Amino acid sequence: MKSFARLAYPYMFWISIFIVLPMLMIVFYAFSTQGNDVLTLQFTLDNFKRFFSDPIFPMVLYRSLKIAFMTTIICLAIGYPCAYLIAQMKEKDQTMMILLITLPMWINMLVRTYAWRGILMSTDLSSEIKVLIGMVYNFLPFMIIQIYTSLAKMDKSLLFAAHDLGANKIKTFLRITLPLSIPGVIAGITLVFLPAVSSFFIPILLGGGEYVLIGNLIENYFVASGDWNFGSAISLIMAVLIMASMFLTKKLDYGNKEG
Amino acid sequence: MKKFIQIKNIVKDFDGQIVLKGINLDIYENEFVTLLGPSGCGKTTLLRILAGFLQQSDGQIFLDGKDLTGVEAYKRDINTVFQKYALFPHMNVYENIAFGLKIKKISKDVIEQKVNRMLSLVNLDGYAKRNVTMLSGGQQQRVAIARALVNEPEVLLLDEPLGALDSKLRKEMQLELKKIQQEVGITFIFVTHDQEEALTMSDKIVVMKDGEIQQIGSPTDIYNEPENEFVARFIGESNIIDGLMVEDYKVMFDDKVYDSVDYGFKPNENVDIVIRPEDIDIKEPNTGVLNGIVKSVLFKGVHYEIVVETVSGTSKTVKMHILKNHDRYNESAKQKISANDFTMDLEDVANITDAEIIARANAQAWDDKDEYVSLTKIEYDILNQSGKYAVTFKTSENTSITVTISVVEPKYVEDDKQGVGITAFDFYKTADEIKESMMLSTDLKMWANASAWDLEDDSNIEIHDVVYDFDAENISEGEFDITFATKGRVFKIHTTDAKLENQKVSLDFSAEDIHIMSKFGSY
Repeated sequence: MKSFARLAYPYMFWISIFIVLPMLMIVFYAFSTQGNDVLTLQFTLDNFKRFFSDPIFPMVLYRSLKIAFMTTIICLAIGYPCAYLIAQMKEKDQTMMILLITLPMWINMLVRTYAWRGILMSTDLSSEIKVLIGMVYNFLPFMIIQIYTSLAKMDKSLLFAAHDLGANKIKTFLRITLPLSIPGVIAGITLVFLPAVSSFFIPILLGGGEYVLIGNLIENYFVASGDWNFGSAISLIMAVLIMASMFLTKKLDYGNKEG
Repeated sequence: MKKFIQIKNIVKDFDGQIVLKGINLDIYENEFVTLLGPSGCGKTTLLRILAGFLQQSDGQIFLDGKDLTGVEAYKRDINTVFQKYALFPHMNVYENIAFGLKIKKISKDVIEQKVNRMLSLVNLDGYAKRNVTMLSGGQQQRVAIARALVNEPEVLLLDEPLGALDSKLRKEMQLELKKIQQEVGITFIFVTHDQEEALTMSDKIVVMKDGEIQQIGSPTDIYNEPENEFVARFIGESNIIDGLMVEDYKVMFDDKVYDSVDYGFKPNENVDIVIRPEDIDIKEPNTGVLNGIVKSVLFKGVHYEIVVETVSGTSKTVKMHILKNHDRYNESAKQKISANDFTMDLEDVANITDAEIIARANAQAWDDKDEYVSLTKIEYDILNQSGKYAVTFKTSENTSITVTISVVEPKYVEDDKQGVGITAFDFYKTADEIKESMMLSTDLKMWANASAWDLEDDSNIEIHDVVYDFDAENISEGEFDITFATKGRVFKIHTTDAKLENQKVSLDFSAEDIHIMSKFGSY
């Protein structure tokens, strides 16, 4: 085992260069101000003060969380029945359906979102609805595949057993299928919520510039105004919020297992 | 007792493939019934139809007089113990067992009472809060039984429930299941492919094959009076002999007539005769019914399985000529070459290949470092008639050896009584080749080109015995007899007394030990 552990060293090296180091740099930037150099480095909370003193920033954060939450709920509402129906099909048809669902993902997300822009431009839907449609469209496959996987790997004899013990179809679903698919649902929620909350090109393309989300703010401060420190602070706030929500969903999953 | 379950002409086909061909079966109250058969015989399908997971294509099932057709599984008063238990992994032991009762909306304290009673019935007191995925196979099994029984079904179906357990645990669970069945006093329908399991536990065994019932009876009936060859073979190792029913109470095999207790066959009808291995006694020579020679003795743990041959097989004796070492040495190339004379069947001449000639002559060449050198050239001119022909083997360095092939008319031994033909040929070897052989019997068969076949359908028959009378380690030049023989009439005997191989013995069995089965319906 020891010799195998050594095989992980190159991987750990790459991880530290490409993941840990940039994250440390984000923290470093968030807690310093522009113009600092290494010699005159000063620890400051100014970036965070700025974020919370101007009501516009928390508002954008709230809006981002809201639209990500709505996207997740809609994806779940469409994705679960969809995954359930696929899991009931014959094996050959299941493979076909999963292929069809993943097929659009072979094409770049940007291109597909442009296509939606064309479709939605002539409608007079609100920007929020347009962005919501774009997000649901883009992230739905992640939800379906996660839930489908957990349903497909479930032992079918459990359903026979429940049926045998007197449970009709609805009771079998509520007491066996649903609880056993919760890990898939949690994974699906995570995979939809995370990209939705930080997405920036969907609101740009479909929101017509008037619908700003937290991802746009971050992109704006990094790319347009070059204020890496404030951009890093917003990223850090986002990261903390995401970590908190992940912690809560994990708790939910664990609580479910305890029954 | 009244007929509790009536299965009437149940037919099931899956997309045109018929798996049940009209099953008729009556099951009484409190019976332990076993559906026994090899995989694919339809036993599990029948069980699923009983449970309501599958719909029969035709026929009806009555439970206590009520037709079950169209009644959904969850409304049937039948519960199932599944092959791999199918315990709900997200529930603990208590919740698994309580599942059926909760569905029926029974009050909490009654559920608790019933579940606890079940836990002690299956010896799992104190396991209520355990995680089912952490239990051992045997414990999971008990939970599965408790989960089914707590609903107080009228019938419990068990689908190979002991298949995943090790043999010691299996034995324990067999006894325990039987005990539980007697205690709760309901009908158990048990599916297995293990005949021993079936014999141990059942009140009634239903032997199935290819979607049909072969025999229904008590374990002793099935064991002692199998209705056909399939049942006899499936239910246990047996001696099954082709015989002739000369008249009532008289059966003949191997030229001898024996008394029997069976009657009602046509005069001179061909029958299968079953004699159970444990029904045969081994005695001193000439004191029993049949004399024979012990062929093998195998210790089976509790008893010995002894194979005794009473009629020897068809045989053919050939001569093995041991020659002087005749390697040729080619000094210029520093190579050695060797090959043997051999005898060949005239019938084989037309299809002979170079590779076969090399193999039959055992021709090989090697250099002074003992590395093999390939033979690049074989010169021969064999005519399609008896005679002696020269064959020359050469390497690329012109190292060569010439040997003689004798082509002879085929000489068969044909034994009409046993329906066996056998042939083998004289052959030539050097003493070294015999000493170097790792599997002498197999090599001798190959060198002599020995083969045996069924006179009726030409199919291959195994040459069972290779008998010779020389010491392979210390063999020298000369001629030796080798006899090749097929298996004769052999009997398997189970006994606790060990015998020696090649010992002369006598076999004894009585008229009651000879079970006659009609050929009709057997395969």
